[in-house]
Amino acid sequence: MGCCFSTGSNQDDSKKPLIPDPNLDRKPTNGSDRNADGLSSSRKNDQDLHAAIVQRTALNIIDVSAVISQGLEQHEYMDRARQYSTKVGVLNRTWSQKKPVPLPSLSSQPHQVLAADLVSNADVQQVSKIAAYAYSAISQIKVDAKEELVVQFAIP
Amino acid sequence: MEGALEQHLDDTMKNPAIVGVLCTDAQGHNLGCRGSLSDEHGGVVSVLAKQAASLTKDPTDSPTVCLESDSGNILMRTHGTITLAVHKMAS
Repeated sequence: MGCCFSTGSNQDDSKKPLIPDPNLDRKPTNGSDRNADGLSSSRKNDQDLHAAIVQRTALNIIDVSAVISQGLEQHEYMDRARQYSTKVGVLNRTWSQKKPVPLPSLSSQPHQVLAADLVSNADVQQVSKIAAYAYSAISQIKVDAKEELVVQFAIP
Repeated sequence: MEGALEQHLDDTMKNPAIVGVLCTDAQGHNLGCRGSLSDEHGGVVSVLAKQAASLTKDPTDSPTVCLESDSGNILMRTHGTITLAVHKMAS
């Protein structure tokens, strides 16, 4: 039905989808059944997720109030103490190897530098003059506009 | 355009006691350098001069910062928008 040439046997051929839907059940369903299935499956997914989160939290949580009631046996206590002290020892060693970088030593003879003559006034005046000359030289750096930047094209 | 500045720096280096000269703008960008002072010193020079200027309330008073060491003195001074540093050996 609906096609020019057909072998004429199956009436479902024209209505069969080209790409089969993997989620579709084999049994004939009407619209309401499919919706209910979707809802229950999503609820089941939510419940699974919720259960996974609760389980993960329970594994990670450290219940401090429960420690007092629990009693540790002597050998277990000693084992744990030894384990913790070795871990702390390893960390201490790595931390102590990373020393902060000391300040650089600027001079091997600080007394000589400190006792040397003060910077003379002539030097200060000289630098002041050099700075003034440099400033005037830099102020000569400027754009020399020779032509117009925007030019009108003459369209005949 | 920068020919005048380059010539001025060369003339400054002709002085036998001067072993380095550096010129930077207010942001520490190097405008020209010779001798012992180079690009990498631009930032420090501009910041030191700026901080020294903040020590005085008088805006027209431009201080000269002197770093004294056993390998000579470095004098820095701001003039307008530029800062100049001169590395001079003790004579």
